[in-house]
Amino acid sequence: MKLRVLLFLSFFAFKTYSQEKFTISGYVKDGKNGESLIGATVYKQGSNLGASANEYGFFSLTLPKGEHVIGVSLIGYKTYTFSVNLEKNITKTYELSEESKQLDEIVITGEAADKNITSTEMGTTKLDIKEINKIPAMFGEVDIVRAIQMLPGVTTVGEGASGFNVRGGNVDQNLILLDEAPVYNSSHLFGFFSVFNPDAVKDVKLIKGGIPSQYGGRVSSILDIRMKEGNSKKFEVNGGLGTVFSRLSIEGPLIKDKMSFIIAGRRSYIDALVKPFVKETNPIKNSEFYFYDLTAKINYRINDKNTVFASGYFGRDVFGAASAFRFNWGNATGTLRWNHIFNNKLFMNVSALYSNYKYFLGFKLPQLNQKFDWTSNVINYSVKPDFTYFLNSKNTIRFGAQALLYDFMPYDAIGQFSGGASVKFKAEKRYGVEYSAYIGNEHKILPRLTFDYGLRVSLYNYLGKGTAYYYRDTIANEPLPFDSTHKFKNGEVIKHYINPEPRFSVNYVINSYSSIKASYNRMAQYLQLISNTAASTPLDVYTIASNNLKPLIADQGSIGYFRNFKENTYETSVEVYYKYLQNQLDYVDNADLFINDRVEGQLLQGLGRAYGIEFYAKKNLGKIKGWISYTLSKTERLVDGISNDKWFYSRYDRTHSLNTCVNYDISKRWNISTNFVFLSGTPASFPNSKIQIQNYNIPYNTDNIRNNYRITPYHRLDLGATYTFKKNETRRYKQTLVFSVYNAYNRRNAFSIYFQTKANEPNQTEAVRFSVIGSIIPAITYNFNF
Amino acid sequence: MKTIIKLLLVLVSFSVLTSCTDVIQIKLDEGSKIYVIDAFVNNLREDQVIKVTTNDSYFSNKEAPAVSNANVVLKDLTSNTQYVFNYTSNGRYVYPITIADTIARVDHSYELNVTIDGYIYKSFNIQRRTAVIDSIVALPQEGGFGPPTTDTIFNCLLLARDKVDNNADYYWVKTYRNDTLMGAGRDINVTIDGVGGIVSAAPGDTIEFTPPATFLGFENFRKNSKCKVEIHSISRDNYFFFIQALAQINNGGLFATTPENVKTNIVTPDGAKTKAIGRFNMATVVTKTTIVK
Repeated sequence: MKLRVLLFLSFFAFKTYSQEKFTISGYVKDGKNGESLIGATVYKQGSNLGASANEYGFFSLTLPKGEHVIGVSLIGYKTYTFSVNLEKNITKTYELSEESKQLDEIVITGEAADKNITSTEMGTTKLDIKEINKIPAMFGEVDIVRAIQMLPGVTTVGEGASGFNVRGGNVDQNLILLDEAPVYNSSHLFGFFSVFNPDAVKDVKLIKGGIPSQYGGRVSSILDIRMKEGNSKKFEVNGGLGTVFSRLSIEGPLIKDKMSFIIAGRRSYIDALVKPFVKETNPIKNSEFYFYDLTAKINYRINDKNTVFASGYFGRDVFGAASAFRFNWGNATGTLRWNHIFNNKLFMNVSALYSNYKYFLGFKLPQLNQKFDWTSNVINYSVKPDFTYFLNSKNTIRFGAQALLYDFMPYDAIGQFSGGASVKFKAEKRYGVEYSAYIGNEHKILPRLTFDYGLRVSLYNYLGKGTAYYYRDTIANEPLPFDSTHKFKNGEVIKHYINPEPRFSVNYVINSYSSIKASYNRMAQYLQLISNTAASTPLDVYTIASNNLKPLIADQGSIGYFRNFKENTYETSVEVYYKYLQNQLDYVDNADLFINDRVEGQLLQGLGRAYGIEFYAKKNLGKIKGWISYTLSKTERLVDGISNDKWFYSRYDRTHSLNTCVNYDISKRWNISTNFVFLSGTPASFPNSKIQIQNYNIPYNTDNIRNNYRITPYHRLDLGATYTFKKNETRRYKQTLVFSVYNAYNRRNAFSIYFQTKANEPNQTEAVRFSVIGSIIPAITYNFNF
Repeated sequence: MKTIIKLLLVLVSFSVLTSCTDVIQIKLDEGSKIYVIDAFVNNLREDQVIKVTTNDSYFSNKEAPAVSNANVVLKDLTSNTQYVFNYTSNGRYVYPITIADTIARVDHSYELNVTIDGYIYKSFNIQRRTAVIDSIVALPQEGGFGPPTTDTIFNCLLLARDKVDNNADYYWVKTYRNDTLMGAGRDINVTIDGVGGIVSAAPGDTIEFTPPATFLGFENFRKNSKCKVEIHSISRDNYFFFIQALAQINNGGLFATTPENVKTNIVTPDGAKTKAIGRFNMATVVTKTTIVK
């Protein structure tokens, strides 16, 4: 299979003309701050010959000898055009300046069609951090994950739920990369905020379908977040004082145009604000409830051919009552990167990555010297070389490999008695290693027809040192009876899986403003989150594929029509997708998932299917910008022993999902924005009777059907306004005030509906709607920049 | 372990920001009829009651519909003795305890036979040993969540010991404040070997109960409150039943689990038209009472 692809690739790729050719290569950067511009297009005007800058802003375009008019463009920036008489190779950095805000409608010069039309990317949305900044946000705080939730095909089970669901997938099926390092828990405060500090983020890209071969490891989506490199021209300070937390970031050159850095931090202060105003006796006095995070990056351009980067993130959430319990969790990630240009066509990046998600839970009784402490973590180490080979103006080949080590501590607990003696519950560490290699070619076969074909092969080993558990079969939906264990030595392979993952997408450009695209991809995922709660909790632990658990496999096909209007001012698209999943986790009834070394016996694996149609329209330019998206979809599962062995609606099924997001520049000073969200209610399992045992009224469903009802639809309107203060001519100081109203018409959206016995009325039972947001949330944030 | 986690997560999700709950009216389907057998027998010197009822519409505000035509017989298989429970009212079948009776004995095996319309619904249970209570300590509360008060409030803590050997012990801890069962109908405190409830092959036996199994009720006591604790021994399957039931009766918040039907240890005979579900447990009980000072 692999060989055939290679042959196919080389056949087309090396079909070159004898005419003499030269290459223009280099970086595209933002003229103001020196940040590299990902995805900028460099093209020969009046042709379909062009190249786009990769994740590091590097491009390479090979053209025949002679006169050319070259354009360098990116949405939001003025297109830069220049004439060149190509007689030798050119290496240069091109700097673009932002489009000026005052212009009502920008006229794009040249015939270059918009990238969304010409590229093979589909199911892909790039969000500029400037766009995200304009979305009215909860508590006035810009948030990347919440912005992602406004896109077609992306939903959440509700406010306060960590992560997001893409095309019916679970939260653990999204590969969230912060400068390529995987982030395991993307939430602060149980999902109200994401861990990504917008001041340090440059570029956000969500890929839901047609996932290219350089990405792998999760089946539903890739959220690729790239951090800023830091202003390489001048020092810059950004900050904000918000209702919930404050932010501060500093960036600047260490050596002008050669070395720059950014460091950004946030800290919430609900606790700090409340404490001075409460009495000593108030229990809140001793409670803790906060989060903080720190993001930093430094880069050094050694010479024209070599650049190195180091970036990292560290954040924690803390929740506790001083004398009784403490609960904290957080991620740490680190990335080291080396960009190397071998020649004007071959670009390499090598990354070394580290990621650690850890939580701690403790109860204590200091008076009795008793305590119970519990920790758990997931660590990843990875090395990843990636190459971009700009073979010629028709072929861009990407290839690379990755080795990824999973190192898990499922639980490490200790109970301490008053006498000082203690009892330990410590799991064995679990190890897995995933090797993958990929090659893909973006191939402009005909002027109007582009293929992007590739193959990724992933190989996974469940490794010792450790004990493998073996179980006997039983009836469906019962914990598997334990059979035996076998101890494996350090590095010994307990179980081995290999998965070829073909990737394919095609784009047929009908004309400069419309195209048809189709794609197919297979993805394999070797770890899954063990979580049977509505919103995943910080305590949920991941588990890796093993002798008992097979890797999750997804096949997805999609087809789409893309059309732009009015000189690319409006982008629209319609996409249809179908996704089929194998080995998705489910749980036996009454599963015990915590501190249990036989947890694998409590897990079930089943099938999933999701399909839908997504409509998207976006206005990119002008005083009024924004988008509207609508998705009609269905997500189901089939698991032996659950819901009478029939397909049932997944918890993430949302039949209708509508998002609109509009912002309007009224004047130089004022910008207003609004969001509206409508989502069908999530499916839920309701009882059809109750039974009474030991005076407990227990809900019971005699039909045993899962997700037989739906809770009420979710809808919400948010409003926002930004006031930019008049700039002092002599100083660089820039200030804005952001006013926001979240949930403007005060709807109590149901997160869940549950059933309970009334307090003090043993025979009276009632249904209760739980709403995470029970009121309008107004907020003011003051932002500054100098 | 699940009890701790449940408690913690409920606490967390309800204290988050502006969350709120509203009682709402919804229409639910009606389920088909099933029998419900509620048989928790223990060695306390009081009348022993087994209830036989049926399920009911979820929003019915009456006591569970009684089944009055059952024959309820408890057999001590170890001593080959039989106890007949007689119907009184409201689905209650009672065995009045006399001075001489020892209906529930540690390590004896029991069979429950409930005969309805000629079909015998059966269950089997072995009565387990219970823990040893040393004392109850009342400590003034220093922190935590909840409304501020002017009185000194106390948390009662259980100092108890588990019996050590290689077998896990399962306990149901019932706490009474001034003779009222705390958390009635809503909370359940069960534990394995006094360590929160860790279902693991790791050493489960402890000498001493550790927190949070030692927290009694998570509710406040005042000066002169009476605190009574009962530790009932339960079988492993009944421990898991309580865990499962707790998840069903208290399934709110951000971290609610998918509702599921609780498991039964009552066996419905082949051919019976109506299924029976329920629980049978034989308990050894130890109690302790203290007055908060």
